[in-house]
Amino acid sequence: MKRALLASAFTLMSALSVSAGETVDIVPPAEGSVTTEAALEAWSRIYEVASHPRCSNCHVGEDNVPMWSGPSYGKTRPHGMNINGGESRIGAEAVLCSTCHTTKSEDWENANTTPHAAPRVAMDWQLAPVEAEWFGKSSVEVCNQLRDPDRNGDRTFMDIAEHLDHDLILHWAWKPGGGREAAPYSLQEHVNDILTWGVGGMPCEND
Amino acid sequence: MKLSVNGKDREVDVEPDMPLLWVLRDELGLTGTKYGCGVAQCGACTVHMDGLAVRSCQLAVGDVTGDITTIEGLGTPDSLHAVQDAWVEHQVAQCGYCQSGQIMSAAQLLDFNDSPTDADIDAAMGGNLCRCGTYPRIRAAIKSAAQKIQEA
Repeated sequence: MKRALLASAFTLMSALSVSAGETVDIVPPAEGSVTTEAALEAWSRIYEVASHPRCSNCHVGEDNVPMWSGPSYGKTRPHGMNINGGESRIGAEAVLCSTCHTTKSEDWENANTTPHAAPRVAMDWQLAPVEAEWFGKSSVEVCNQLRDPDRNGDRTFMDIAEHLDHDLILHWAWKPGGGREAAPYSLQEHVNDILTWGVGGMPCEND
Repeated sequence: MKLSVNGKDREVDVEPDMPLLWVLRDELGLTGTKYGCGVAQCGACTVHMDGLAVRSCQLAVGDVTGDITTIEGLGTPDSLHAVQDAWVEHQVAQCGYCQSGQIMSAAQLLDFNDSPTDADIDAAMGGNLCRCGTYPRIRAAIKSAAQKIQEA
């Protein structure tokens, strides 16, 4: 019994260390040190990321159709092959995202070098939740969504930063490979901007 | 490296980043699965992993996490899968290059939905291209197979 408990505790510890993902530093600025103006500047950089094709192509609305857009795609168009992520947002209703966006092992670094191939990460590929619709949305719309617990997965700004630390699909946006343009800044800079925006009170331009 | 392919345990000595398609065709001699585009754009290399369709050109053999079924393991000449039977009945294939991938995708569709509408078929089969344009026969064969499965 004791051995079983120890084994399960060890498994839990391993799981926690694995879920830490590609670690970034999550160090928010001191409380009260960020002006609203500085927070809005951070937001404008956050929106550059959120509206970038590497992020927004899969942050689509209730039609559940991922997009192909950005410099490496030419004309903006729906994902080819009549793909629809369905209400499941993982394609369970027709073709699973993971049929083509296969799940790779964590230690395989150069899995996405081939142009036009389906990107893959060490997580099951999926669309973002429908509440987080970003594609074609304005800075004000995305900002208000991201600070609304009812539409952001009930997350504080610290939770958002930790989500960015853990989610390997998000990490892919900064190293997409295959000739795709990476999201602007870096994962660490983006997390820093989230923390600055958060400590500054998560302001939006319409406040 | 150990793999389960068509119900048999197989041992292969390959690099873990080799696409499963290469392993099936070049190491195990299972050439029914076809190389089309190599980038998951055409569906010709579709096989099943634990019953779910996957493009074997995009799945590294080291990332295989379940039992693999190829067209050779879906049915046998003496006991065809309902989709294979319908494919013969409707003489779907023209050049035939895409058909093993088409059949594997159709088989998964019918596992989850035994009375698919035209829209269901279009949604499930959109990633399987047929350059001969046999789509009307593919659709008809899937409907025939669905009927056979319902009657079975």
